This record gives sequence, structure tokens and C-alpha cells, in this order.
Amino acid sequence: MIDTIFLILASFALFGAGCMIMLSNTVHSALGFIVTILALAGLYALLDASFLFMVQIIVYAGAIIALLLFVIMFLNIQQSHAPKEPSKYLFMVVSAIIMMPVDYLLFKAFYTITDIKNFSVTPKDFGDVKMLGGELFRNWLLPFEAISLLLLVALIGAVVMARKKERA
Amino acid sequence: MEVSFMSYILLAIILFSMGIIGVISRKNIFIVYMSLELMLNSINLMLVTLSKHFGNMDGQIMAMMVIAIAAAEAAIFLSLIVALYKLKHSINIDDYNTLKQKGTL
Repeated sequence: MIDTIFLILASFALFGAGCMIMLSNTVHSALGFIVTILALAGLYALLDASFLFMVQIIVYAGAIIALLLFVIMFLNIQQSHAPKEPSKYLFMVVSAIIMMPVDYLLFKAFYTITDIKNFSVTPKDFGDVKMLGGELFRNWLLPFEAISLLLLVALIGAVVMARKKERA
Repeated sequence: MEVSFMSYILLAIILFSMGIIGVISRKNIFIVYMSLELMLNSINLMLVTLSKHFGNMDGQIMAMMVIAIAAAEAAIFLSLIVALYKLKHSINIDDYNTLKQKGTL
């Protein structure tokens, strides 16, 4: 059962990512990316991360992709505005060949450093709001506050960067 | 049979390299941005998998931090794209060459 769900979600994630890097229409690629995001949210649920499952759907699919689609439509990108990419498949093949040794190295490294190949048995409330919040506010308080400062800086920076320039 | 730890890691590695392929081969700035986000997401999947594998919450907390940083990055990146589009009227990354020294390459 878990096997089947994993295979379905993984193929959806790969399909969405493939659509995203291959299609030439910008909005179509954004829709492919949404498929990947939602499939990854399902994988988080399979991995007992129920809070991250919700955060992924709310923050990624709900905020980041919505903002991205809003900007694409705000700038009114037509199919004719999209840059011409006559040799994109050639570049894809070349970069895939470049990435292959790195992938092999990573896979081999993960394969050798973990001697137990199965997941450890986790408690029933692993990954839910209570456990994650307790961990966050006990051991990760300083990074949490730093993240909140970072978000404030990003908010101010986005407003400053996107506003209309005053002509002197 | 339980799906093993390595299949999740393999999926994360493949998604990461697809992100790098997108960054290298495309010229549309939005697709480059989405490929960057795809790389962040694959790292998140790896962190959550390791968190489950070792039975430790730290991986999930780090994944949440990565999501928060990705949100901040999205705001900055998209406002930069809007500013650049006002300046150049193009979404082709080859047109953003103001800092390039003229006459070389």
C-alpha cells in the first residue's frame, strides 16, 4: 500500500518537474511546478511529517506559487515575449551528463554512510504540531527569531525594490 | 515490503539534478527561479527523509526554516524581476548584461 502511494507520488513529482523544465509557456511550467509541490507534500505525509505537509501546501502552493503566477500575469508575459531557446534540449542533455557523476557520488555516499536501510520506528506523535513546536521553542529558539527578522528584512526589501522610482 | 530510505534519497537526488538542469539550460527568468525552488524542495525532502530515518525532529525543523527562507527569497526575487522587467522589457536572462564588460566574449 505504502509502496504504491510512494510510486504514484514520486512519478507525479518527476512528471511535474519534467514539465516545468521542458515546456516553453511560462504559465504551463508554473502549473507543472504546482504538481511537483503537491506530490512532495504527499511524500512528507508519508514520512510522518504531518505539520510540514500542511506548511508545504499553505506556504508553497498557496503563497509562493500564487505570488509567482500573479507576477507572471501582472507583467502580462505572452508566448511571443518568451525568449527563443533553439538549443535548450542540447543544453539539457549536456547538463544531465555533467550532473550524472555528482548524482552517483551522492547516492553512493548515502548508501555507505547508513548501515541500516530501513526506517527507524518513530513514536505515534512524531512530526505533529505539538512535538515540532516543543522542539522549536526549546532547542531552536534563536534560529526561529533570526528567521522572523529575516522575513521582516525581506518584506522591507521587496517593497523598496519594486516601488516606482521618483525622478529627480 | 516497506519502501526503503534509499528510494526517497534517490528521488531527492533526481529532483535536485533536474533543478540544476533547468538553471543551466533555460533562458526564461521565471523558469530559472522555479528550478531554484525545485532544488530547495528536493533538499527539504532529503532532510525530512533523514529525520524519519534517524527518528530525530531536527531535520523537520530545518526543513521548516528552509521553507521560511524560500518565502523570503520569493518576495525579493519576484520584486527584482518586476524591477528588471521595467528596465529591460524582457524576461530573457541574456538581456540582463548591464554589469558585463563590453568587448569581451
